[in-house]
Amino acid sequence: MGDGAPGRITALVRQDFRLLARDPAPLVVRTVMPLLIMGFMLPLFRAALRADDVPDANGAEQAVPGMAVMFLFFLVNIVGFAMFREHGWNTWDRLRASPARSVELLAARLVVPLLTAVVQLAVIFGAGALLFGLRVSGSYAALAVVGVPLALCVVMVGMALVALCRTISQLSVIANILALVFAGLGGALTPQSALPDWAGPLAPGVPSYWAMRGFSAVILDGGGVSAVLLPAGVLCAFAAGLGAVTLAFFRADQRKLSWS
Amino acid sequence: MPTDPRPGGTGGPVPALAVRGVSKRYGATAALDHVDLEIAEGEIVGLLGHNGAGKTTLMSLVAGLIRPDAGEIDVHGHSTVRAPRRARRELGLAPQELGVYPPLTVRQNLRFFAELAGLRGRSARARIEEAAEPLALTALLDRRVSRLSGGEQRRVHTAMALLHRPRLVLLDEPTAGVDVQTRARLIAYVRELAAGGTAVCYSTHYLPEIEALGAEVAVLDDGRMIARGSVGELVRRHGDSGVELVFSGSPPALSLPWPVTREDEVLHVRVERPHLAMAEVLAALGESAGQLVTMRVVQPSLDSVFLHLTGRRRPTGAHPGDAVREATAAGCSDGSGSGSGSGSGSGSGTTPAGDGTEPPAEDRIEAGHHG
Repeated sequence: MGDGAPGRITALVRQDFRLLARDPAPLVVRTVMPLLIMGFMLPLFRAALRADDVPDANGAEQAVPGMAVMFLFFLVNIVGFAMFREHGWNTWDRLRASPARSVELLAARLVVPLLTAVVQLAVIFGAGALLFGLRVSGSYAALAVVGVPLALCVVMVGMALVALCRTISQLSVIANILALVFAGLGGALTPQSALPDWAGPLAPGVPSYWAMRGFSAVILDGGGVSAVLLPAGVLCAFAAGLGAVTLAFFRADQRKLSWS
Repeated sequence: MPTDPRPGGTGGPVPALAVRGVSKRYGATAALDHVDLEIAEGEIVGLLGHNGAGKTTLMSLVAGLIRPDAGEIDVHGHSTVRAPRRARRELGLAPQELGVYPPLTVRQNLRFFAELAGLRGRSARARIEEAAEPLALTALLDRRVSRLSGGEQRRVHTAMALLHRPRLVLLDEPTAGVDVQTRARLIAYVRELAAGGTAVCYSTHYLPEIEALGAEVAVLDDGRMIARGSVGELVRRHGDSGVELVFSGSPPALSLPWPVTREDEVLHVRVERPHLAMAEVLAALGESAGQLVTMRVVQPSLDSVFLHLTGRRRPTGAHPGDAVREATAAGCSDGSGSGSGSGSGSGSGTTPAGDGTEPPAEDRIEAGHHG
């Protein structure tokens, strides 16, 4: 990756920032929406947690990480759109005809969505603390140890879908379904202990389960970094698996339909 | 003039582009079939062909966007398959479809491609100015591309291919949908680039552009390279000339010393010096002259060369403009204008209806195309 690759990746990342700065509305909406929904769901989560032997819970302990995880997976759409719009603007072939390698074009596209996801998580947790009284009994560093691999996982789901889908419509539908399934199975919508019997065995098969397990270990159980190493590791494994899927199925010369 | 020695020290100049025996299939369809093409430094080659002839496929192969099924492509001696990145560094591609970032300004679009080419800071700024000035983009640099006209966007699109001063420029129908001024500006700039040693492969449907560029011509037809040479050479070898007569009914049988063909109400007399044959043709008409609607002298031109080579005749009723000299039946005795014979053709004509609605040259060519 020598011969100017870092410079080209920097150029691609800067370009993504320029485009994000030009139209930040989708990102802002996806950050505000979970905060709105938290306001409505707080009493429900409070009751669920208190029924689950957390007597002094105010509901934010479940609502904040739950909504944060659920809406983070809606970012998959933004990851996919960032790739598909290059086809819509006919700039993808221009990029391929430039000195940049295909792997550079892909790698650079991870950076802005990854930072965006991390910032979105931080904003939702911060606003959750300020607006809804979220108390973190464990280590803030442990939250980051879970949050960063989770963000990477979200970005890699987006990249895998870019590799697998031919149209933006396909990607959008699949991303939305995945976000809801992951939220349901992972315990973002209800405490994991309240999942239906059939869902329990399936839950560890989704990354959101491990994210919620990690966040709960820090927020409710007062855990530190060592307490979240397993969930963080599993999230990294998910990200690596999705990365492998992306590399296996991505074809730079495949024409994507961006506005179908 | 080419200056680089060939790799291996054989001493000859390395062409900017060497395409040798290249084939490409899409399923059962042969997009290109054993195509050869060489472009020297400072040379402009106009790539002609009807829609689907393989022009864009050839451009995409040269740019490394797709791989050939057979054959070799070298850009300044670098194989597009074995050393694709070295080859890509030498070329600039402006694809047929407009490829720009609409939400960003012209400057941001140009800066991005300058940065991708490894330019930073002052050098990037200098190149942006350098690419913008001849394409009249300087005043538009801080305008958002989405707010520019189609022609302005096309100029931005072209400038993005030139920022790194490529030694081979691929322009795929760069004037599609642009106004006359933009077209003239682009042509002037391409000539300037070539004068500075840049090799240019210029694909177009608009034959007058090839003449305006002073370009060599390469004609693709159904994936095969069927002709290559200067406009003058091709006109001499393949140009059709003759007299074309349109009657109100079936054309009469004429006794003439030249080959005569009939097509519906049109009679074609193929003759090398048609303006000298006019009087004899008119005399041979006799009483049939009353049925004559229009008479034209067809001069050889790139237009007629293209149609001759690709086997597509201009449809009856589509007036060939530059390529022909035309006279009404009433005024045909004066149809002795001489064409240049170099392909540009000359002369003006009037239709019997006198409607003056002759379509622009590009539309005439398109009208004869299929696919």
